[in-house]
Amino acid sequence: MSVHTPTTPAFQSNARAAMANANLQSALRGTRDNFVGKRAAARAALPEFDDLRDRARAIKNEVLANLDLYLEAYERAVIASGGQVHWAETAEDCRRITLEICRKAGAKTVNKGKTMISEECGINDFLAENGIRPVETDLGEYIIQLRGEAPSHIIAPAVHVTVPEVEAEFRRAHTHLPADRDLSELSTLMREARGVLREKYFQAEVGITGANMLVAETGQSIIVTNEGNGDLSQSLPRVHIVMASIEKLVPTLEDASTILRVLARSATGQETTVYTTFSKGPRRKGDPDGPEEYHVILLDNGRTNMLGTEFQDMLRCIRCGACINHCPVYQTVGGHAYGWVYPGPMGSVLTPSLIGVEQGGQLPNASTFCGRCEEVCPMRIPLPKMMRHWREREFEKNLTPAAQRQGLRLWAMAAQRPALYRFATRIASGALRLLGRKRGSLRSLPFAGGWTGQRDLPVPRGPSFMDQWRGPTR
Amino acid sequence: MSARERILARTRAAVTGAAEPEEARRAAVAVRIAQAPVAPAPRQALSHGPQRLTQFMTKLEAAAATIGRVSGLSELPKALAHELRKRNLPAVARVGSEPMFAGLDWGTIAISHGPGRVEEPVTLSRAEFGLAETGTLVLASGPDNPVTLTFLGETHFVVLRAKDLCGGFEDFWPAWRARGLDPRTINMVTGPSRSADIGQVLQLGAHGPIALHVFLLDG
Repeated sequence: MSVHTPTTPAFQSNARAAMANANLQSALRGTRDNFVGKRAAARAALPEFDDLRDRARAIKNEVLANLDLYLEAYERAVIASGGQVHWAETAEDCRRITLEICRKAGAKTVNKGKTMISEECGINDFLAENGIRPVETDLGEYIIQLRGEAPSHIIAPAVHVTVPEVEAEFRRAHTHLPADRDLSELSTLMREARGVLREKYFQAEVGITGANMLVAETGQSIIVTNEGNGDLSQSLPRVHIVMASIEKLVPTLEDASTILRVLARSATGQETTVYTTFSKGPRRKGDPDGPEEYHVILLDNGRTNMLGTEFQDMLRCIRCGACINHCPVYQTVGGHAYGWVYPGPMGSVLTPSLIGVEQGGQLPNASTFCGRCEEVCPMRIPLPKMMRHWREREFEKNLTPAAQRQGLRLWAMAAQRPALYRFATRIASGALRLLGRKRGSLRSLPFAGGWTGQRDLPVPRGPSFMDQWRGPTR
Repeated sequence: MSARERILARTRAAVTGAAEPEEARRAAVAVRIAQAPVAPAPRQALSHGPQRLTQFMTKLEAAAATIGRVSGLSELPKALAHELRKRNLPAVARVGSEPMFAGLDWGTIAISHGPGRVEEPVTLSRAEFGLAETGTLVLASGPDNPVTLTFLGETHFVVLRAKDLCGGFEDFWPAWRARGLDPRTINMVTGPSRSADIGQVLQLGAHGPIALHVFLLDG
């Protein structure tokens, strides 16, 4: 079963199912309370936070304006430290290169730290099809791998899974442990996962991690984690593969530090994650541990096509998830409804860019345009503006549903004829007033069930603004 | 054309629309990397003197680590023995070939040398630097302090010299570069490992250490 076939075109039915799922709704309430409050507290504790955001934005803009040169500088530094750089234009390239490295290493098992790029490229399914067992080591990723699911959040991939579901999954998967063991406490579940994965760390021949940043100055890849799984995944196997997309570049260690200061605060409200690791090349002469080979796969997969367009700003994204956590749509439907790797506002912009507006065009419509995503984005990415651009492209490409197009056309026709428009609104507001004259509001209205299903519609109280403006009372 | 050339060509075409000639860009990027410009540091990263020490200890404890001060290197074995007893841990420790630990008399503690193994109840490392800004330890991987000791120890003890304590990133990176180290990994550690992936409740001891204790070495 592939968990990576996009179901984005089915967003509306996905969303309806999500809203009817009581377990998911309770999990989403938890996310809301956890992430939103903690970020606000972290921001309040650092008076310079907004200055750092400006600085972080400037750093990424500088990188994107000279991305070709930063990529070359980074590549030189990696090679100088004994590492190898592989360039992947597409997800397919990334899968092929990964398999080649694994085959050469004689790998039967591959350990993985959390990497969204590998989700984007469908690495797990591909390795499994080729007889290599991928093992997710991030606790959340491990849980959803057991369940055969995709992550529902880029920071907290198993946020939709309840504790009893975790216990059931562990009992099903860990059959080598006594069936009557006590798993009633959260701590016993954690300990069991720790024990099972500890064994696996020592079995893998290859470890794959992502990269939060790539440093052009030094050729280092940076990962930030709280669990330590990414570090065990890269330190114990004989081969370390870093999967990173081309926009992860930063010029120097100082620049990386600026971005680190806004990253964890925006993601989980921590000042810093427990582990921030800078890795470069294979183990040094005399090192008793660490990999003997260090490979970086640089993935494009549609990103160079965003450069120089109205979507270039999206390439500043550092995957903190703040826009997701603060989005009223995400808070209501969760991550799976979005149907691909990246949920929430960042996903609504990125998904059509990466898999095409034909597949992902539904997502930019899943927005109330409240603007909170842009407000909390540490890289100040104008997400609502870019969602509007996608809506325009969707309309231009004739992908909008026929009823919606007809409605828009009708409205546009009226809006371009002021006399007709005023006449129509006068009739409509008069009719509404008549219908709701007793209560001053309406409980139901034909064609407006989407509104009145949740709340009453207040009826217009008097003449329209235009009528008042022109009228004798002026 | 190779994938590399195609990616770089597309990138170049997109970024050079109206901008300056490539030679000028190339020179500017080289300068940008070499000079590593620094923005004004947040106040949190500018502590010094006794206030720096207090900030480091407060931040470290906020990250669920513990810290004790040791008056001199010769006192380290006694301090470790005390912590092991207090925590009901076996009298063992796994260490690398850190020269600082070489001449010490460990008494009843059975010291073993080498990288981390599957079961590793106690590991001991030395941190190169500390950052008061966030209560962070900075370790350099290598034979002296194998990286796996940082992640496989159930309880990880770390020695930090008080004089290696920096205010924040701004004074740390120059100090780091000046020391001339080139390890495979720089490991910044802020507290024991943790996860909230089960039921959204934060628990300590995910894959790495369940407890982290710092010996701050005076003098």
